[in-house]
Amino acid sequence: MSAGWYPLALADGIEPGTSAGTQLFGKELVVWRDAGGAAHVWEDRCPHRGMRLSFGFVRGDRIACLYHGWQFDGAGQCRAIPAHPHLDVPETIKVATYRVAERAGVIWAADAHTEAPEPAARDALTPIRSLYVDRPVAAVRAALAGAGFPGADGAPLPFAGDAGGLLAFGAPEPVLFAALQPFAAGRTALHILAVGAPAAEDRVALAGAAEVLRRALEGASALAEAAA
Amino acid sequence: MSLVLYDYALDENCYKVRLLLSILGVPHETVAIDMFPGSEHRGPAFLALNPRGTLPALFADGLLLTGAEAILAYLAERFDESGTWLPADPAAFGAVLSWLHFAVDELSAAARARAHAMTDAPADEAAVVAAARAALRLMDDHMTKREFSGGRFFVGETPTIADLALFPAFALSRDYGIDHDEFPALRRWIRRVRAVSGFLTMPGIPDYH
Repeated sequence: MSAGWYPLALADGIEPGTSAGTQLFGKELVVWRDAGGAAHVWEDRCPHRGMRLSFGFVRGDRIACLYHGWQFDGAGQCRAIPAHPHLDVPETIKVATYRVAERAGVIWAADAHTEAPEPAARDALTPIRSLYVDRPVAAVRAALAGAGFPGADGAPLPFAGDAGGLLAFGAPEPVLFAALQPFAAGRTALHILAVGAPAAEDRVALAGAAEVLRRALEGASALAEAAA
Repeated sequence: MSLVLYDYALDENCYKVRLLLSILGVPHETVAIDMFPGSEHRGPAFLALNPRGTLPALFADGLLLTGAEAILAYLAERFDESGTWLPADPAAFGAVLSWLHFAVDELSAAARARAHAMTDAPADEAAVVAAARAALRLMDDHMTKREFSGGRFFVGETPTIADLALFPAFALSRDYGIDHDEFPALRRWIRRVRAVSGFLTMPGIPDYH
């Protein structure tokens, strides 16, 4: 993983006691939230048989693998192996973990030894949705910087710069932010948030605008490939 | 009353019917049909019962019903005293039927992709997986927007047979190579379906022990 912090999910979307799989540069990660509300980002592999931990289940402050129930605490340390209930689990059975920050309504992760500053805090944002697009992150960024974000009412929200890892849209003041996750080769996730507290129908309209954006991005790619 | 379900444990359409029978607590008999590898549903004995050669098939007091979505509607109409699984309100009724149609139309690509992955049934693998993914995106888009006003299920305030008709294609998507990563609203939705009283698992849909 490259240096720096990367957005992986909308914070609201990962409920306490649940887990989700995702990818960063094609590497599989698990994002999970323990019962106490703390978010964790790990390599998505049980050290036992390589099963994705995101297929498993959260119990209290641990996540358990679906295959054989091995349980890992918040530090990635294996704490229980059901087939060997009396075993004092060796310290070496551990999952690789990442640093986590919840800022601006987004769960961000960085390499455990990163020296990059944590993403900036930003208040009063309302989550709209995560949008998964079959386009490389550079192409998504270029398209957004050029054409802005489709507006809920048809008029595009102009690109207003990159503010601490969040692309801003709208003038004179930003009304929408998007954090771009380099998901895998040719695939990008956009975590989209609105400024303030829009009503449900306005959030629906913005989510619809995101669908328009996905069609535009992927349609443009299909046209480009057909022309090539 | 006599209800006999002709069933194959690994078939997601049979699973939809098993789910509703369990949720509604309807007593019934089950006859296991060896769909794979035996192709018993294409054999003379089963074709004599159901000339379509399809599963699930339900005999309700001698009446043959075929097609999971039709069976769900029949069971809801006959046994759901709450009236919530197939709501009578025209808007909700129409919305439920629209999703049932989606389940047998666009979303059938998921069943074909899974049959291809698990039993080598003939299919253009890339095409059916892409079509299944497109259908799952439509479902995720829908549930994303539902959640803004507190919607927890596909139609209305409580689960309907639309949720059951749509559930297996996503819950079993890893069987045909589609991860849940790209569908956050569906990931939350299947947790709600799993919490419905009377919910059953099937192979590929694990119990969280």
